[in-house]
Amino acid sequence: MTPLSAHYAIGIDTDATTLREADRLLQGLAAELGLPEDVFGCTHLVRDGRPRVALSLAAEAVAAEPVLRTARDRLTAQGYEVRDGAPDEAGRAVLYPGVSALTGTLTLAELLARSAIDRVTVLGTPDEPAPDARLVTREHVRPQWRNGHLVLAAMPAAGGTLVPFEDPDPTPCCADH
Amino acid sequence: MDWLVITDHGSVTHAKIGVEKVNPDIREARDAHEDTLVFQGLEWNIPAAEHGTVFVHPGRHEVSVLKQFETDYDGSVKGAGDSTPANEALAVAGLSFLADQVKRRKVKDALMLANHPARKGIDSPHEIRAWRDATSRGHQIAVGFEGAPGHQAAGLPKPLGMGRARGIYDGSPGANSFPGYPLESYRTWGGFDWMTATVGGLWDSLIAEGRPWWITANSDSHQVYADTAARGGGDFNANGRYDDPVYAGRIDVTQGDFWPGQYSRTHVGSDGFSYGAVMDGIRAGRIWVDHGQLISGLDVRVSGGGRWATLGGALHVRKGTRVTLSMDVALAGGPNWAGFTPKLARVDVIQGDVTGTVADKDTFTAPTARVVKSYEVNKDTGTVRLTYDLGRVDHPVYLRTRGTDGNRSAVGALGAKVDPAGPAIDVVGDADPWRDLWFYSNPVWILPS
Repeated sequence: MTPLSAHYAIGIDTDATTLREADRLLQGLAAELGLPEDVFGCTHLVRDGRPRVALSLAAEAVAAEPVLRTARDRLTAQGYEVRDGAPDEAGRAVLYPGVSALTGTLTLAELLARSAIDRVTVLGTPDEPAPDARLVTREHVRPQWRNGHLVLAAMPAAGGTLVPFEDPDPTPCCADH
Repeated sequence: MDWLVITDHGSVTHAKIGVEKVNPDIREARDAHEDTLVFQGLEWNIPAAEHGTVFVHPGRHEVSVLKQFETDYDGSVKGAGDSTPANEALAVAGLSFLADQVKRRKVKDALMLANHPARKGIDSPHEIRAWRDATSRGHQIAVGFEGAPGHQAAGLPKPLGMGRARGIYDGSPGANSFPGYPLESYRTWGGFDWMTATVGGLWDSLIAEGRPWWITANSDSHQVYADTAARGGGDFNANGRYDDPVYAGRIDVTQGDFWPGQYSRTHVGSDGFSYGAVMDGIRAGRIWVDHGQLISGLDVRVSGGGRWATLGGALHVRKGTRVTLSMDVALAGGPNWAGFTPKLARVDVIQGDVTGTVADKDTFTAPTARVVKSYEVNKDTGTVRLTYDLGRVDHPVYLRTRGTDGNRSAVGALGAKVDPAGPAIDVVGDADPWRDLWFYSNPVWILPS
């Protein structure tokens, strides 16, 4: 399960090997299935000898369960391998309540208020960040489930701001370096 | 530059064409520059892992050995990039092959040093141990990894530079990465790789096993920051190379590399000026590294019982012998390539217990390692002698040292009790490498019996 309070979750196996591919797949599926914004869509790293990225869809509200059951049927019909339950409890959230409101630069207080993110931690320092610390979202905010909480890891950035740890455009492996 | 290794990435084209094609140029460079030892090597795509520098002693078969190695063991050529047990085994087999070529005297020597090991989290601790243990202890082929990666100009802020991550460490966990690595490991700390920068971390966990594993610092110079030349065009796949560089008519601040030796240096205590002596020095671990020419010399001796050992070595003493570390640090004494004379602010001594071979090959912490002594230096010329008294040593330990310009310090990743003022995590897009200089030495063991 991803959120401990999730009422219903499904895990979807894929051939995606990168997060970028998996994100696109997830966002495409969400649009195609018309999923509401209170559904959590996560990526999960699968390391069972064939490294790849799997997906999960989960909903807290009972009302969303029928939507996910429909999604499950349609995904299965499209040839995806779908199971009950997320692959693990450490999903990286791509879709979550409030994600579309996390744009531009926000204070941490605003970020927490607008979205389902529970907490922000800053790498490289043991201190808790101040609520008025500014985070440059880069429109790419991917919190992670940790012990039932949705936590965003951030890094110090230029000008005393923070950025989410995950770079939206990382250097591709081995391309020119 | 007294010595350098010229490599290119493994690829089908490189294996077929490049490795042979570059050799005449390298030989010409050797003849033209008698005071520089020019090794030919390969930037190996280590199966199941990151890149690694493989290089051989020059000789009649240097090309054929490198070519066969790349053809049979390169991760890109063999499609063996994914983190699977089979691919991990191929990496080990490649190192065995190199050892075999040395044994059969096809080449006089060969070495492998893993590059930017924490960058993508795909060099697991057990793989690193497997590379170390792949060949005989008498003549280890894989002897270490980059303590600091190249691409040190990549963090220069825009518009001065490309405004990315120092070392181009901008990755995050993926399907091939080792699940145990924390997010912190994907970024540099004071320009150094997390595995090395973390006191009590992965490097310390290897040293604590009492087995050789050294650090280097390299330029990884492909395309140079502020170069006015640009890569020539041409068909790499057909020719095995690009055309010669051309004048670009502008200063290119979108590149992240320094020239070899311009910023990163790997100093080897070599018993003479020869290819073999440098390789012997590397294998012996007589190595220290620095950035920005922070210091100009380092002489580390650990003595006791009438004997002494230096970097990479082991001091054998009777139990209870009093042991002292003495280090002579020659300060910068002159400007670096950024045009200023760096000042050494502080030197730290790190000590840990030798705890022997780990049970869990994926161990990446060494709980007893910590900073035991710090010295305020604040000098930029002359020499200072720093000493540290270990007292009477009754169990196996090791020491290693590092120093800094003091501009950026933070509590280490494992807490203040371990490292109260270590390197700070680098700020992506705002990391001027000239304002955050460090040197690191390799370890010395003290083994009482």
